[in-house]
Amino acid sequence: MKKIIIGDHIVKSYGEGDEKRNILDGVSAYINEGEFVAVMGPSGSGKSTLMFVLSGTDGVNDGKVVFDGRDLSAVGENELSDIRRIKMGFVFQQPTMLKNLNILDNIILPSMRNNRKNAAKISEKARALMKRVGITELEKRDITQVSGGQLQRAAICRALMNSPKIIFGDEPTGSLNSKSAQDIMDIFSEINAEGTAVMLVTHDAKVAARTERIMFMRDGTIVSELKLPKFEGADMDGRIEKVTEIMREIGI
Amino acid sequence: MYNRIIRNDILKSKAITLTTIIFIAASAMLVSLAAILVVNLSGALDTLMKQAKTPHFMQMHSGEIDIARLTSFAKQNNNVDDFQVIEFLNMDGAQIILDGSSLANSVQDNGFSIQSEKFDYLLDLNGNIINVTNGELYVPISYMRDKTTKVGDRAVISGKEFTVAGFLRDSQMNSTLSASKRFLVSKDDYTEIKNLGSTEYLIEFRLKDLSALGAFETAYASAGLEANGPTVTYRLFKMMNALSDGMMTAVILLVSALVVAIAFMCIRFTLLAKIEDDYREIGVMKAIGLRVSDIKKIYLAKYAAIAAVGSLLGFVLSIMFKGMLLENIRLYMGESGDSSFALLFGIIGILLVFLAIIAYVSGVLRRFRKISAAEAIRFGTSQEKDVGAKHFCLSGNRLLHTNVFLGIKDVLARKRLYATMLAVLVISAFIIIVPQNLYNTISSKSFSKYMGIGNYDMRIDIQQTDNISEKAAEIIKMLNSDRTISKYAVLTTKTFKVKTEDRSEENIKVELGDHSIFPIEYSGGRAPSAENEIALSVLNANELSKKVGDVITLVMEGKEKNLTISGIYSDITNGGKTAKAVFTDNSADIMWSIICAELSDKSLVEERTSEYASRFVFVKISNIDEFVTQTFGSIINSVKKASSAAIAVALIITVLVTLLFMKMLVAKDRYSIAVMKAFGFTNSDIRAQYVSRSVFVLIVGIVLGTLLANTLGEILAGMVISSFGASTFKFAIHPLSAYLFSPLMMICSVLIATMIGTSGAGQIKISENIKE
Repeated sequence: MKKIIIGDHIVKSYGEGDEKRNILDGVSAYINEGEFVAVMGPSGSGKSTLMFVLSGTDGVNDGKVVFDGRDLSAVGENELSDIRRIKMGFVFQQPTMLKNLNILDNIILPSMRNNRKNAAKISEKARALMKRVGITELEKRDITQVSGGQLQRAAICRALMNSPKIIFGDEPTGSLNSKSAQDIMDIFSEINAEGTAVMLVTHDAKVAARTERIMFMRDGTIVSELKLPKFEGADMDGRIEKVTEIMREIGI
Repeated sequence: MYNRIIRNDILKSKAITLTTIIFIAASAMLVSLAAILVVNLSGALDTLMKQAKTPHFMQMHSGEIDIARLTSFAKQNNNVDDFQVIEFLNMDGAQIILDGSSLANSVQDNGFSIQSEKFDYLLDLNGNIINVTNGELYVPISYMRDKTTKVGDRAVISGKEFTVAGFLRDSQMNSTLSASKRFLVSKDDYTEIKNLGSTEYLIEFRLKDLSALGAFETAYASAGLEANGPTVTYRLFKMMNALSDGMMTAVILLVSALVVAIAFMCIRFTLLAKIEDDYREIGVMKAIGLRVSDIKKIYLAKYAAIAAVGSLLGFVLSIMFKGMLLENIRLYMGESGDSSFALLFGIIGILLVFLAIIAYVSGVLRRFRKISAAEAIRFGTSQEKDVGAKHFCLSGNRLLHTNVFLGIKDVLARKRLYATMLAVLVISAFIIIVPQNLYNTISSKSFSKYMGIGNYDMRIDIQQTDNISEKAAEIIKMLNSDRTISKYAVLTTKTFKVKTEDRSEENIKVELGDHSIFPIEYSGGRAPSAENEIALSVLNANELSKKVGDVITLVMEGKEKNLTISGIYSDITNGGKTAKAVFTDNSADIMWSIICAELSDKSLVEERTSEYASRFVFVKISNIDEFVTQTFGSIINSVKKASSAAIAVALIITVLVTLLFMKMLVAKDRYSIAVMKAFGFTNSDIRAQYVSRSVFVLIVGIVLGTLLANTLGEILAGMVISSFGASTFKFAIHPLSAYLFSPLMMICSVLIATMIGTSGAGQIKISENIKE
């Protein structure tokens, strides 16, 4: 299977001199096309940093990241922006929406850059996505007028607007109640089933158990990996059990 | 605790604190300077007029004089304290050669006097009464200012040699607005040159009670004494001396008011941003039971510290710069007696600025009361929202580039925040445009129409000479045969008696001739066209309490003649008290005639002027541009200086405020910037959005500023102009500079400032700002 992202001996550190601390300490990781992956680990283990680095949102101090066949360290700032906008999608724990725009405008924002002539088409696509995740009626609402779960659905719509190759989710269900979290995970599963790769950073075993491969991190390195069959709605408890077992094993 | 809070706070926002201090310092400096100027100007003026013992009433007279009659009038009038008649020897400029070059081009009536014995002294630059010896010449200070000559130069007056021994202050004729200039020579030298020019008399009175000047004027006029020349009173001397520095002070006051307003804007903006940042903390403080006044104190303390530093700095700066602004006053009038007094006023001005800032901050902080503790703790931000931009949707946008759209949308959604920047830009545009328009107006040729001077090219003055009418006829003959002259008008000024309200008689100078050839601006009514019509200057109309349509009575050859007032006009010539009429009269003596001429080819003006000048040596011929420049030159220069300074100040303000604003916006918008970058917007996209915001605000600012400048600004400028005799006023706008160059300058400044101010946006890291 073709790998869409390869991270090779990545070192990422913060601070200077004595204060310098390696958040990622020679991590190697990959994601296959259309794969559903999770990264787990305790706070400070480097899982979010790994996601930022693999998506090219943050640079590396050593090692390299190859996305879709291209070494990201050799790609300029503007092209990196283009790659993020066209080939990647992001969903964060907090909904990361602009206060001044309504829900629809927030969703179409990345697609509208340099593309205003297609505004009608883009809006149409956004409406279709909104319908799919069940927020059609929220189109004109302000972001302060909807619930966290609804906002997260809108964020997923935004991530999907440019039909990306991969969607990164950093604790996307972290601030939701369990019903909303489950709905969101259903949407991610659906997106993945259509062929888009998904990488989720989470500390929730229930979320990780929905994916097909889980990388476990501690102190800036990947300490373990668990492969699961594709989730098709059955044996959720068994999957969760497997995840928590490893968590116990490695002490997270 | 306050100290620590203030220190930490200031260290965290150095650039913003510094900018606020700069604006406070600038406003404090300007207010203090204006106060110092006003006090010094009035002080120096008083000192000068006291030292020189300026006459309270002065009648110029040419022709026969009956000194005995005047002396007996002075003796009989109870109010006369002192009386004298001084000779003023008028000489053609060509006969006066200073350092090798003659004063032939001077439009001033240059003449010679000896030192007075009783009052109206001519003073040296130390304020002492000059004691002149034979062979010495003291030159009016304005010739030192324009570098015509210097001490030690050789001077030749009608062939007789003098040495320039120094410069003199003349409390009557210092101002360039005054048409005559007195040179001082010794008695012996005066006797020697006496026959080389025409003698004019200055009949001067000092009064016991200055407030009864009006009554004295009436008494003088009704006594039928010598009055063939302008009458000038103490008040007019004072006004002429104060005018150009007074204008400068007025401009500084205006600018200082605007800078104070800008300092307020800066404070408001930083304070609102700070409150928004601290929203949750303020909520917590309220929740744990701190009083609003306690919370206010924390913020007030910081601004009190900033205001104190700014005010002190402003005071020091004003002390440093006052020398520069006082230079002119010192030169023309000398030191003011009460300079410590001036400093005191400066300090009072600065204290007022300080108190105003504290009051303003306190006012802005009133909104603490409105903050709901529960809401602040729960949401961390104000839940108030601007409405209005709701229907301006990205999904419906086909016209604007997305970055431009986002920029404009942000401005519309956060109107309150941008209102501050807008206000500053409106003020900047105003400061740039108004002085510029004022300068263009008063330096434009048509402006002289407001000043009582028609729009002609060449002016021929026939005065202080005999047989004025024959000489005029001679010139007219030449004008008639001169093909380059397209039209001309002869205006003859005569003195008549006019009946006042209380039936007493006063002198009035009436300019007779066809006033339709070179029309001037009338603030009401029109030029006189019929025999029974007369037009009055504003000052005369005010004094006689007459308006258009009223009737006044002139006395000619003992007979009364009623004239209807056809119009009222502005005039600053001849002391501002003139009248115009068309009737023919052979009774009164001619005081002077002027012939105004227009040339069909403007490029010939200079050539023709000098040709006429060499042909008719007995008259004064001036190119009108030169006449205007020499008369209003110093005022135009003051305004020009002020206007360039205003442009520089406004541009600096624009750059500083935009810079400050953009830096604060980037700091405030870190999160949104990170979000946009995460979703694929490049640094140049972000910059384009910020540029769109500032350009959008700027365009609105320029439009509003220009509108305001052309309405309110025109009214303000009109008030300034009316202080020297003009009543109607319309801006003469230079469209290229007002509507193209000024906006362009502002746009460039704002663009540069925005670029620099938003450069920090490139450094914003997505991963650091989108935290989980």
